[in-house]
Amino acid sequence: MTLSIRRMLVSTLTAVSLTAVAACGGGSEPAASDKADLTWQFWVSGTEDQTAWQKVADHAHTDHPGITVKLQGTSWDSYWSKIGTLLASGKAPCIIGMQSLRLTSYGNAMLPLDDLMAKYGVKAEDFDKPILDGLKSDGKQVAIPYDSGPMVVFYNRTLFKQAGLADPKPGWTMDEFRAAAKKLTTNNRYGIVVTPGDLGVTSFVLSATGAEPIKDGKLALTEPGFVQGFQQFTDLVRTDKVAPQVPAENTEFQSTQFTSGKAAMMIDGPWSVLSTKSQSKFDLGIAPIPAGPGGSKTFTAGSGFGISRSCKTPDAAFQAIASMTADQPLKELATAGRAYPSRPKVHDAWYQAADIQGARETLDFASANSIPLVTTKNWVKASDLLNRFGVQALNGEQTAEQVLKTVQDQAG
Amino acid sequence: MAAALGRAEARRAWVFVGPSLAGLAIFTLFPTAMALGISLFDWPVFGERTFRGLGNYAELLNDPIFRRVILNTCLFVVLYVPLNVVISLGLAVWLGPHIMGRQAFRVLFFIPVMTPMVANAMVWRLLFQPGGLLDTSSQSLFGVHAPNFLGSTAWAMPAIVAMSVWQGFGYNFLVFSAALDQVPHSQLESAQIDGASTFARFRYITLPMITPSIFFATTMTLITSFQVFAQPFILTQGGPGVATQTLVMYIYDQGWQFLNMGLASAAGWVLFVIIMGITAIQFLGQKKWVHYDA
Repeated sequence: MTLSIRRMLVSTLTAVSLTAVAACGGGSEPAASDKADLTWQFWVSGTEDQTAWQKVADHAHTDHPGITVKLQGTSWDSYWSKIGTLLASGKAPCIIGMQSLRLTSYGNAMLPLDDLMAKYGVKAEDFDKPILDGLKSDGKQVAIPYDSGPMVVFYNRTLFKQAGLADPKPGWTMDEFRAAAKKLTTNNRYGIVVTPGDLGVTSFVLSATGAEPIKDGKLALTEPGFVQGFQQFTDLVRTDKVAPQVPAENTEFQSTQFTSGKAAMMIDGPWSVLSTKSQSKFDLGIAPIPAGPGGSKTFTAGSGFGISRSCKTPDAAFQAIASMTADQPLKELATAGRAYPSRPKVHDAWYQAADIQGARETLDFASANSIPLVTTKNWVKASDLLNRFGVQALNGEQTAEQVLKTVQDQAG
Repeated sequence: MAAALGRAEARRAWVFVGPSLAGLAIFTLFPTAMALGISLFDWPVFGERTFRGLGNYAELLNDPIFRRVILNTCLFVVLYVPLNVVISLGLAVWLGPHIMGRQAFRVLFFIPVMTPMVANAMVWRLLFQPGGLLDTSSQSLFGVHAPNFLGSTAWAMPAIVAMSVWQGFGYNFLVFSAALDQVPHSQLESAQIDGASTFARFRYITLPMITPSIFFATTMTLITSFQVFAQPFILTQGGPGVATQTLVMYIYDQGWQFLNMGLASAAGWVLFVIIMGITAIQFLGQKKWVHYDA
């Protein structure tokens, strides 16, 4: 009895004092929640990258003088093991970078942001819908996207012109795509380079047969539609021989084959358009994924910033994230070629920087025909297995069906 | 008096040994015991941990991938260790005490050991991959594609072994070179006067005298080759399929990629037991062939 009275008293007092603090904050003085030194864990690929992203973080300080955000950069490869341990130990920094495909694995350790979005006026309709949906876990928003993008086909316009091929237009079909790939394949060059990466495979399959890798929250890789689509994908290497054999470790293989002109096409996301363009000496074009019987379709993926559950100043962290994903920083990122912005309003800056003929037409079309790839908890494993065993399917050591069965059974 | 002195010495001994012991306890014994504990749980990085006894070990034994991983690791050891020892010993003997510029050769052979593994593996990846140096030279010389070394199940492991031998033989080479320098010249000379052939001198004098070094080199090489990680990680990521996935890679994947600490710890203990067992057998076997009485 006495205990509960005391508890009531304490909570009332706390509430009163909190209201008092909040009331003080209503004036010109920043509220208590607006004052914080925050740390932000994110993947960066070097010092130049680190500087560029720190500038994004500095927008939080400009908007809220009481808040500072310090970036702790880690390379992409070690980022996920590091963030996993940090989240598990409850010592994760307040702000963490999160990729849509991996979100389901980490969603539990992150704070739902819906209330904070309402409180600070961050509107869902200002963002690309597919990527906002892609950053939801159990129906709750857990990260605010800074970039997004539907998977598209990058092509070497110079080689297309030399081969007498017209630029592929939105709506081009799988048959047209295969014919082009065949025509572009010569003694020392291939029409396309493909690797068994999850986004490329699933986008191709989605367009080819309409099958999705996940059905009702479960892996559905062995469904006939998916097998058939994946078969078509592997046939590019196996039977059509319009794409080169792949090495087992292939993260850079695809982009180096394409930028060096050894392959005329590849499937990738808009986030790599500008870096690909800067690395290649030819005229770069982008086209939607070729249309199968059900039309052209593709998956959207992207990344954003979320708040760890262990964060003691979630309000400040959210305000920082809101500043980091506002128009201005996204515009700067777009101009610097680091991200295809998650806010459609800022796309212009990206198109200007990209300066690729037909880019807007392609991306608008692909975006309109895209859905988010909402993954399962075991997606990291499934994707890893798909990449490993997919090599055997592409190089003809196993059939598409065998490989998908292995992945499904193992990741199951 | 003597007892007091003994006690004082013992105290001093503890003071000197203490820091090392503390380090061993904190950084080796505790994590090892902790891993044993974790291996008995379903221990996701996030969420509920539940006790499952030997369930993780049973899961490992029933996992065809894990069985393949053990096989891969053994295959690597069986290919790598003899190649490494034979090449490093052969080169050390060839660069015997009388050859000109042996110091320069020693430095040259040791360079791959000193350069970062990641950089080495990246270069080898560029050699091996389709359209890489080996492939393009094969095409221009013979008009055919070279095998897809890093993308074919048959070739991937030999490719990794080749790269590892190139990278690793320099260390044992130095060990053997130093041991060969210790072989008394007078004995070799008197054997030569007695009419012993070059081979006989090597077989009956040099080889027995360097057996402690050979024992050291094989034991250390065996232990490190069971722990091979960087080469397959960078060259093939364990692929194609799981053709080159090794035990340590499996542990890394389970723990840090799939966030399943229980299974990773169990696999870690399997590796620990294998290495302990093989090292114990080597130590038991050494009485038969290692000569310490030089």
